[in-house]
Amino acid sequence: MNALPDRYAAADELVLRDQRDGRTLAQRLSRRYAARITGAFMVPGREGSFAPLPDDLPPALAQALRSRGIEQLYSHQAQAWAATQAGSHVAVVTPTASGKSLCYTLPVITAAMSQHAKALYLFPTKALAQDQVAELLELNQAGALGVKAFTFDGDTPGDARQAIRLHGDVVVTNPDMLHQAILPHHTKWAQFFENLRYVVIDEVHTYRGVFGSHVANVIRRLKRVCAFYGVTPQFILCSATIGNPQEHAEALIEDVVTAITESGAPSGDKHVLLWNPPVINPELGLRASARSQTNRIARLAIKSGMKTLIFAQSRTMVEVLTKYLKDVFDHDPRKPPRIRAYRGGYLPKERRAAERDMRAGNIDGIVSTSALELGVDIGSLDVVVLNGYPGSIAGTWQRFGRAGRRQQSALGVLVASSDPLDQYLVRHPEFFQEATPEHARIQPDQPLILLDHIRCAAFELPFTGDEIFGNEAATPWLEVLGEEGVLHREGNRWEWIADSYPAIAVSLRSVADGNFLVVDRTSGRQTIIAEVDYSAAAVTLYEGAIHMVQSVPYQVEKLDWEGRKAYVTRTQADYYTDAIDYTKLKVLDCFDTSHAGCGHAHHGEVHVVRRVPGYKKIRFYSHENIGYGPVNLPDQELHTTAVWWQLAQVVLEAAFEERQQALDGFLGAAYALHIVATVAVMAEARDLQKSVGSGDGAWFVSADTLGRGQLRGADGQPTALSADTPFTPTVYLYDAFPGGIGLSEPLFNRREDLVAQSVTLIERCDCRGGCPACVGPVLAADEDAAITPKALALRVLALLVAL
Amino acid sequence: MTALVARLRQLRAQTGQGSLTVAKPAPAISTDVRRLLQRHAQLKQGASSIASRDREVAGTEIAPGLRYTECLFDWLPPPAVVDASFARMEPVHHSRLLHFDAETTGLAGGTGTRAFMIGAADWVDGRFRIRQLTITSMAAETAMLRVFADWLSEDTVLVSYNGKCYDAPLLATRYRLARLANPLLGLGHLDLLHPVRRRWKGSWENCRLATVERQLLGVVREDDLPGSEAPAAWLTYLRGGSAANLRRVAHHNAQDLKSLAGVLLHMAALEAR
Repeated sequence: MNALPDRYAAADELVLRDQRDGRTLAQRLSRRYAARITGAFMVPGREGSFAPLPDDLPPALAQALRSRGIEQLYSHQAQAWAATQAGSHVAVVTPTASGKSLCYTLPVITAAMSQHAKALYLFPTKALAQDQVAELLELNQAGALGVKAFTFDGDTPGDARQAIRLHGDVVVTNPDMLHQAILPHHTKWAQFFENLRYVVIDEVHTYRGVFGSHVANVIRRLKRVCAFYGVTPQFILCSATIGNPQEHAEALIEDVVTAITESGAPSGDKHVLLWNPPVINPELGLRASARSQTNRIARLAIKSGMKTLIFAQSRTMVEVLTKYLKDVFDHDPRKPPRIRAYRGGYLPKERRAAERDMRAGNIDGIVSTSALELGVDIGSLDVVVLNGYPGSIAGTWQRFGRAGRRQQSALGVLVASSDPLDQYLVRHPEFFQEATPEHARIQPDQPLILLDHIRCAAFELPFTGDEIFGNEAATPWLEVLGEEGVLHREGNRWEWIADSYPAIAVSLRSVADGNFLVVDRTSGRQTIIAEVDYSAAAVTLYEGAIHMVQSVPYQVEKLDWEGRKAYVTRTQADYYTDAIDYTKLKVLDCFDTSHAGCGHAHHGEVHVVRRVPGYKKIRFYSHENIGYGPVNLPDQELHTTAVWWQLAQVVLEAAFEERQQALDGFLGAAYALHIVATVAVMAEARDLQKSVGSGDGAWFVSADTLGRGQLRGADGQPTALSADTPFTPTVYLYDAFPGGIGLSEPLFNRREDLVAQSVTLIERCDCRGGCPACVGPVLAADEDAAITPKALALRVLALLVAL
Repeated sequence: MTALVARLRQLRAQTGQGSLTVAKPAPAISTDVRRLLQRHAQLKQGASSIASRDREVAGTEIAPGLRYTECLFDWLPPPAVVDASFARMEPVHHSRLLHFDAETTGLAGGTGTRAFMIGAADWVDGRFRIRQLTITSMAAETAMLRVFADWLSEDTVLVSYNGKCYDAPLLATRYRLARLANPLLGLGHLDLLHPVRRRWKGSWENCRLATVERQLLGVVREDDLPGSEAPAAWLTYLRGGSAANLRRVAHHNAQDLKSLAGVLLHMAALEAR
């Protein structure tokens, strides 16, 4: 191991020796780094609010609870009990680690014990399902309650399935299994359905967008099958904090729910710091990296003996930060590691081991992606550091929610990256404090999703008469399916007739053709060391990429795109790689159009192609760019909805002397519109994307290395337009989900606001010629240009401002 | 690419829409619905009629859409008691045996697959009787299930080829969907596939019924409709097309039943020897 210069030694004087709590650390940091802290606030802890165990609990269950140390309930658990006993559907919305699962465990076990009633649990992932069954079994054992709980997922062996169908009181599964394995075989589950009393859906905030729209339709099918067996189960839903928990729960199950939103669980005070890295180059307005600040804060916290969790936005950043912290804390290979990385892409076994280590308190620092955001249990933590804004207010609080012990104050630090959205938020802490968390949106009636599920529903039970599916009469869809030849109409019944199993062809997650396996060939043997999602493969597994696993660098030697495999070998590289990507876009259909100043705003469907032409090599620690490499991969395609603004050629010719200026103006305008729009609809930044191109897809513009708009043709190669080619640059904001999740329509409805706010954003920005917080980074030379990028962007926006 | 995108693109291609750069007035109905309806219209136009004059399905209509055939043969005189020890079962009097075989709309499984024909064979007063039920409408399924249930009694022993894994669970699903009790539940069931496999797996190229009947009984079928074409045969008829292949399905089904009995007696005799 190289002896690295201890760049942060100066901070060691801040290490806490006696009072190791979040408040003290927040105070020390605030005093020492006052200039970097743009916002500091405290979320006061709560005294616990308790209620006695309900009298109507079965005595054996009450006894089991007491033997597990539960002598009384939190008030929200008692409320959930009362509401379920009154027969309502319930949505419980309380913070992480507030004892949510007891809200459904009590009614479910009670019904199982007293009426042999069954319950179906849905969790978004297998890991959470397994945690839940383990918890149920412990409680069951403690009181010899005789309640049988099983997981039912893709790993359940065939011979166990029959027993689970017949004897399971609580079956814990995921929406995908319900959709593909249970509903299409509901007759095998007849006894289960006939006695089904509760359906528990946890983590409902994850059921949004395309996935949520699919899940809402699976719930429609579930209710339809339940009706066949003559039951109307009660739903109990749980959610992390979102802006519209009740509305979202009601949208998912299409029924009235009683929302319980006040947590009775005690918690310590939570201190929050918003941290902007210091300016290191005043000339260019450059700030130190978020990574360096995160590293510093995390190091200080760990040295102070506080359990610390660091969230990074990308897998690469997780590995880089892990390496830096390991260099400090894990340089003695004889000792067990104190720092661990946790992210998607590790094998399940490795992740389980990491979770166990964390729960046992053997780990002092965890560096993670959003993979830890869901309810994975890793025990109590003292400090959470976010390396960059997670993209949503709700996501930020969910991550901060990881820190907190009952008796002691916790600390959460959001370190702003140079990303404009981060800069925007960190400079406007009031926005952060006041904003309600994002709303979860679903569109269960999106016609193509609906068609998929009516198809599946028709397989499960014939449609009769004017049956309503969700909110719509099914008939037009049934006719389409009839013409397709999968349904046969006889009288007023539509029966499935095809020799196929439609659920197999419908993926709820819309995540395409499977994961990529990362195969290590270092020592001649072939070992699978990781898995990467299809969507991440193009930007992380290109040939030449440095792929880090637990901060050990591997280089990708060969990528077998068709075979979904990347072959890697160990390397000693002193750099990591970062993909360059750009998009082009084509309008397919326009739903709506209106005037926007001298131009037009539109809303419609688009076809997006994303391409990775190459990558940058970036040296560790210095982060200088030390070279480029080419990438040759198939384009990633996305069919989605967008809102876009266009100006006519004559208008542009009058306003700009040359086309290049107009292009630069559009790029700057797109940049500002994207920032404003992301905040306006409370989207996660990655869910909403921007692009500038020609309206007909003939060319598109990306910023070149000088920050200038570079025209590229349909083939992605730099190109120029001859003077007589039509010139209609267009700025697009598009929904980054296949099929769209309905972001573009609210944007279209607020189109005038967005343009006006973008103008304000740019006008009020302190910079001279443009900066990452308004129109995007600009070159020093442009700062003093006769016409700055800022001015050009304002000129474009001025033409779009409502008259 | 995701399945959703593929489907969106596929639908688009089928409506013949290309790229549109010119803004159109706001549509009164959702574009997706419009697209589906357009496609619907297009398909309707293109759907060629398969109507046929050959609509003759064998048998008598014993309920609306349910046809019944029965024939008796002097064939394969059975021993009074059939030695079923080769299938690890007690000896069975031949009058308790009911060979059965369902013809279905496919192999996909799940609640969307149904039987459109049920054939059953037994010995009545020493004569071999084959009865077949065929539905010519979906609505007749319940009647078919009821009639078949009447053919079973508490002491019936079913004989099938792979019926334990295929025909019986499929019928169980159909009875459940029709809200009828499952009459197969609890009956003895002699599935010949398993003893055949135990005995001849590895010595023959496979253990399909066609192979078994050829090896053991010397049966060579002529003009046999492969089982895989049965779903299409019925579907064609259901949609107003020719019944010719449906009649061949019935023929195929009857031959399967004969072979079941033949294989059963052959194996029982082998054991006795």
